[in-house]
Amino acid sequence: MNEDRGIRRFTRRHIIHHAIMLVCFVGLVVTGMPQRYPAQNWAKAVVLLFGGVERVRFVHHWLGTIMSFQLVWHVLEVVWLALVRRLPLVMMPGLADVRHFWQQIRFNLGLASTPPRMGRYTFAEKLEYLALIWGTVLMVATGLLLLYPVRFSQLVGGEAILAAKAAHGGEALLAFLSIITWHAYFVHLRHWNTSIFTGRLEERVYAEEHALELRDIRRGEAPTPAPLVAWRVAVFSVTALLVVGGTAAILAWIGAMQVAIATVTGG
Amino acid sequence: MRVGGSRGVFTQQVASVALCLVAAAASADDSACFECHGSPEQVREAAAAMELQLDEARVGRLVVGPMQAGTVHAGVACIDCHAGAEEIPHPADLLRGNPCAACHEDALAAVNRSTHRDPAGGASLRAGCWACHGAHDVRPANDPDSNIHPAHVAERCLGCHAKREYLRGEHGRGVQIGGLDFAATCVSCHGGHDVQPHRASDSRVARRNVSKTCGQCHGRVERAYLKSVHGAALAEHDNHDVPTCVDCHAAHNTQSAASNRFRLDSARMCGRCHGDKAMMQKYGISTAVFETYVADFHGTTAELFRATSPDQPLNQAVCYDCHGFHDVESTRRMGDEQVKERLLVRCQACHPAATRDFLSAWTSHYEPSRDRYPLIYWVRLFYWWVIPGTVGFFLAYIALDVWGRRRHRRVS
Repeated sequence: MNEDRGIRRFTRRHIIHHAIMLVCFVGLVVTGMPQRYPAQNWAKAVVLLFGGVERVRFVHHWLGTIMSFQLVWHVLEVVWLALVRRLPLVMMPGLADVRHFWQQIRFNLGLASTPPRMGRYTFAEKLEYLALIWGTVLMVATGLLLLYPVRFSQLVGGEAILAAKAAHGGEALLAFLSIITWHAYFVHLRHWNTSIFTGRLEERVYAEEHALELRDIRRGEAPTPAPLVAWRVAVFSVTALLVVGGTAAILAWIGAMQVAIATVTGG
Repeated sequence: MRVGGSRGVFTQQVASVALCLVAAAASADDSACFECHGSPEQVREAAAAMELQLDEARVGRLVVGPMQAGTVHAGVACIDCHAGAEEIPHPADLLRGNPCAACHEDALAAVNRSTHRDPAGGASLRAGCWACHGAHDVRPANDPDSNIHPAHVAERCLGCHAKREYLRGEHGRGVQIGGLDFAATCVSCHGGHDVQPHRASDSRVARRNVSKTCGQCHGRVERAYLKSVHGAALAEHDNHDVPTCVDCHAAHNTQSAASNRFRLDSARMCGRCHGDKAMMQKYGISTAVFETYVADFHGTTAELFRATSPDQPLNQAVCYDCHGFHDVESTRRMGDEQVKERLLVRCQACHPAATRDFLSAWTSHYEPSRDRYPLIYWVRLFYWWVIPGTVGFFLAYIALDVWGRRRHRRVS
């Protein structure tokens, strides 16, 4: 193992996923916050920079759409990895993570002699992942309600549209603040961690944060995907097609309806 | 140089005996006057001959030619107005007093009851008749060369009154640029001889009379306004809190309600009164109407449209799209059902597919509470606690981690 180049931690799949999400998230925050705080001068400056709130919304809607598709893709991916390739759900939080969290606190306070030895994903990463999935599902759902208020008011009632607006704004602020505190601390400040861009993490950091995984890698005990079984691939493919097709059909049904008179698109 | 006295006396007698019209029809012989007043050289010569001190700056004003055809006083002789001018050199007080009264008694009486009256109570006016009508070139009002033709009225009034914004307003531009003789000029609203300050209760521009004044041309608007909650309060209860035409449209810099800017500014316009706590408290009306509007999708968009360019067309509902404008009504006398029915019609104007379910996607300016729109209230409350709670937990943990790691580094 070359120490300078570090140990491979992420594959191209992870890197692309993160890059898409990074662009979407930053773009959605930049185009979303001015809509949440329209009376602020910085909001007006951002809108001016884009050349009008209509364009801000255009960008916001498309980035949101990309992120929604990414969510669907990720769900299918997890199903594929867990059920077809029979890999463990390494990002799923468990009781061990609570123990790690507790031991880390005790260690920081000087009450424990050793820090927790953690696996591929630490409790901090799993917490963030959980928040990301929960947050994205909520943002996509409430965002759709806001995008098609007339249609959805017939399904869930008008008040739910406004509740969705409150939740969309609240969750957005929560996500933004989480990223600039929790995420920034763990991957920028605690260690300058570029592994999600380069795919590799320095051995020193790997040993500190993912001791158990490193041990497994060295012993050659890292989990390997199961060989493909025809019926599993078939079931997955059909289900995936149904999910994607169903989502597209629902969106088409909603979008086909004229919800508002033609908008003015600037002079 | 001598002036023919007999001829002057003759003409004066004609003027004092005959009616003005008759005098106008008769031909006046003013040639003697023009011997001195015909040109600047003649004026200087005459002054020198009489050894009079001549202010060079006044020479131009002393030059008077024969009345031009089309002026209403062609045929009236100089000394009909300038009585005493037959005396040479002219007496010092020749230009005192108001000679117009001899024929135009009613007009002078009206002016002397107006705000332009002589403050000393005398017959001379704060603004002499000629300040508006001109002196030697008085023409009928419908003559485009007349000083009081609609195209020239503003020039006259703006000479003393600093209201140049009238020229930028719809009416001013209509007259000046559009060439519309019927567009409102100063006198259309303020009156002519009988002009009164807006503080006077019988003024045409006093609060309670504004709609009537505008209604001279905008009659249907006036009728709608008088039936509205604003107009009725003014007409029936003399309530001066309510807006009149000029509070929304401006008195002088009148803005077209069809302009993009008017539409974008309209919410703030309504907000001037409806955001005034002291005023709204009297009527038990919420002042959160503006904030709740801006917090909603339509208002947010309007605010951001306004921020980027105040002139762009706005495709979102503003106050008057739902409430109406001249005929704005109070919802208090309506039942919930009636309000909903009418609101749905308003929604459908822009959202053709809207159903009754869509109505509750707008809180009707209410702030969500436990009783009203509780779902929104609970969601907001949830984030009110969860955001600081989560971020607080993050920061506390990070602080502990930083502290712990430093301590271990020191120890090891």
